[in-house]
Formats: sequence, structure tokens, C-alpha cells
Amino acid sequence: MAQEIAYTIEHSPSYASLRLDLKANQSVLVESGGMAAMDTCIKMKSKVQGGLMKGIGRMLGGESLFVSEFTAVNKSGQLFVSPGVPGDIQHYYLNGNGLMLQSSGFVASSPTVVIDTKFQGFKGFFSGESLFLLRAAGQGDIWFNSYGAILEIPVDGHYVVDTGYIVAFEDTLNYNVEMLGGLSFKGLRNGVFGGDGFVCRFQGKGRLWVQSRNLFSFFNFLAPFRPTSS
Amino acid sequence: MEIEILQQPDCAIAHVVLKAHEEIITEAGAMIAMNGYISASTTLRKGKGGGIMGGLKRMLAGQSLFLSVFRSPSNGSDIFLASKLLGDMVVYPVANTGIVVQAGSYVASSSGVDIELGFQGFKSLFSGESIFWLDITGRGEVILSSFGAIYEILVDGEYTVDTGHIVAFEKTLNFKIAKSNSSWLGTFLGGEGLVCRFRGKGRLFCQTHNPVAFGKLVGSQLSTSKKTSIVSTIFDVIK
Repeated sequence: MAQEIAYTIEHSPSYASLRLDLKANQSVLVESGGMAAMDTCIKMKSKVQGGLMKGIGRMLGGESLFVSEFTAVNKSGQLFVSPGVPGDIQHYYLNGNGLMLQSSGFVASSPTVVIDTKFQGFKGFFSGESLFLLRAAGQGDIWFNSYGAILEIPVDGHYVVDTGYIVAFEDTLNYNVEMLGGLSFKGLRNGVFGGDGFVCRFQGKGRLWVQSRNLFSFFNFLAPFRPTSS
Repeated sequence: MEIEILQQPDCAIAHVVLKAHEEIITEAGAMIAMNGYISASTTLRKGKGGGIMGGLKRMLAGQSLFLSVFRSPSNGSDIFLASKLLGDMVVYPVANTGIVVQAGSYVASSSGVDIELGFQGFKSLFSGESIFWLDITGRGEVILSSFGAIYEILVDGEYTVDTGHIVAFEKTLNFKIAKSNSSWLGTFLGGEGLVCRFRGKGRLFCQTHNPVAFGKLVGSQLSTSKKTSIVSTIFDVIK
């Protein structure tokens, strides 16, 4: 039933911008504030997807409460979506299965996709990096973004990812967060040395996307240059 | 060990495929993702530059206190490595001559490579510039990263580079630190810091952007930090 949306991802992997070509009366949901440019025939409507409670769930997930719905009224139109951080965009087509997304990774989706904050996402995730997960399900297109390039890893068996680098993964993968003893620097703040030792261990078969840079590492780089109050 | 650099030039990731029982040493925090069977440890390396004092020396260099060691149990296990800033990476085969690397540009190296902190020749001269250097010798491969793109210059004769733009250079090169301008006043007004004058024959790797200059530009616009972490306090005390 869901109609696929024509799209192109331009200027990837560092400055990816999503171009959507909507057919007449076709709609798309975009992260609020994500619209960069569009044809005048496209009308915008802010909405709380799936009712208020789900919206609040998204807010808790670190994702903005509102998404905007863009509809090409009566004729086809073009829409450019730009994520807040420079990086890459990846497309995924949901066909009844589920996709777990890092909470700040949502860019756009078909209106038929249901996005939910899964509270299981809290499961052991290191809150200092506010890595909560969103679960996208239903049918239709979804686009997600990263800081730096996105790399797809087909997992079959065991795979370990630093929690700060997870972008998305198929929910056919089992995951649990653990502290990799060999990587932890107990007593030293993550901010300083970059390695907190928290990793996510994936098991099973499915696709996983990681990003080539971590925004927190960048903040840590900048931190020493901040003016100090005396 | 097979190293492939992906997503060049601005979001470079190193994809390393290890043979059975092979080890790779990385800067702490460089691991993005890896095969679940690879074992990780932060044991301080023995030998040159190892031991607790070696670790402390590394900490003072602004480099992570620990290096992580990843060991593959079987053939074909893979690991992905990245640097902190947006930029490129390059693989350098270390052989007889050795290479001097700016500490922030070191990502990883194979186990036959020795890392020694503090290239003596620079010690006092660079203190004001907060750039530190690693002396890398031995045999194997080292992965270097840059802020921005990397360009290589084959020096034969003389060459001058701003210190903030140096990624690494072969030890066959002699160097001298100098002011970029004839007078100190000109040096400060011109905004150019210290430059390194190379002489001889060897490879020199430069980065298009200076991380310290960028950090100062953006960092100065941020709100003041009230909380100072324990570690930065330690740094201040040592200074």
C-alpha cells in the first residue's frame, strides 16, 4: 500500500543532503527543522506522530517531539532535507520488519512508518552519550543520518561496536551493552581519553550501520579550547 | 595484516583484516567496530616506551595514556578504526629509517613497530605550541590521520612547513625550527607560528588544516567551562 518516495542523496558522504521528489498529494514526514528548501506547492504541517504519548516517548528518546509532514498539494514537487550535522544519509525500506535507530539519527520517513521509543533501548546504554534508540516499524521508506560517513556492516555471528558509533541496525540482531574490560579506563573520564569501554555486542544475522566519526569525540577535542572561568 | 582506507578523503575509516594471532596497536578510542571474537586489552606495552612510566609520558604528550591492543584469534577477523576529527588517513610502511609523527595524527600500528614519546630535538622549541611528537621505529605499518586532507611532499633539498600542518616526516630529514618572519613581532602579527625548515631527502606528510588553530577559533566561542575534570587539573598541576 505504501507508495515509495523517489529520492536522491546528494553530496555524500560528508555533506549529504536528501532530495525528495514527491508525487501529487504524496506526503513525507521530516524531522522538525530538517527542511532546507522546497517547491511552493508543498505544504507543511507540524504534527505529533502517532498521538501525544508517542511524541513524548520520542522526546525522551532525545529526538524532537514534533515531526513535520510535507505534502505536495495537487502537483508534484521537490523537497530538500538537510540534517543538522554534516555527514551521510542512508535509506532503508521497511517491509513489516523493524529498524533500530540511534535517537538523533532520524531524518525522514513515509507517513506509514511508525516510530516509537523503545524503552528497552535504555537497556544498559551508557547515558552519558545519551544513546537511546528509536524503533521504526511498519512499511515504507526511512532515511537516517550520521556524523561522518555511514558504513554498512553485514553481521553474521558476533560483532562489537563502540556505543558512540552506532547509527542503526535491523532488529533481527540481538544486542546487549557491556563494558569491554580491555578497553575501559576506570576512574578517567570518557571525555578526556575518548575510550569509555562501552560497547554494544551484536549477535545474529542482520545489517548494521556505523558512522565514521563520533560527535562526542569532537566535543572532547574542543573542550580544552574553551575559555576557563577564573 | 591488510589495511584498506575507506571513505576518503574527509571521513576516512581504516578497515583492517587480521591474520590468526596477529595484533594491532591503536590509539585508545580509535576502535569503532570489530569482529566479536577479537580480544582487546590496554596492557601497557613492554619494551621501548612501555611500562607505567612510558604510559605517563604518553599522557603528558596529550596522547592517550593507554594504547589498546587488539588480537585476532583467527584468520580474517576485521576491525574498523577512525580518528576523532574529520579528515583523511594514510598507511605508512615503517622500515629502516623511521618516522616522526605528530601525536594527534597517530591512529594505529602493527606490533613490530615501536612508539617512543617525545622526539628530543623538538622538546623545548615546541613547548609553546602544544604539539607533541612520537618517534616511530621498527618494522611494520603505521596508520596516520590528518585534519583535512593529507598531501605528501618529497623533499629533496630544503622545505619549510608550519608546525601545525605537519603530520609526519621521515627521519632521514634534518630539520631546524625557526620563526616564519624575520622579527618576533612579525611572527605574532602575521599569525604564522613556528615553522620547521627541513633539509635533506625524505617524505613529508602535511595536513591541509591546523587542528589547534581550528580548536582555538571554535573553542573561544564556547561558553566557559566551570567544571574541570580531575584529569585536566592534573594536567594543570604538571604544567
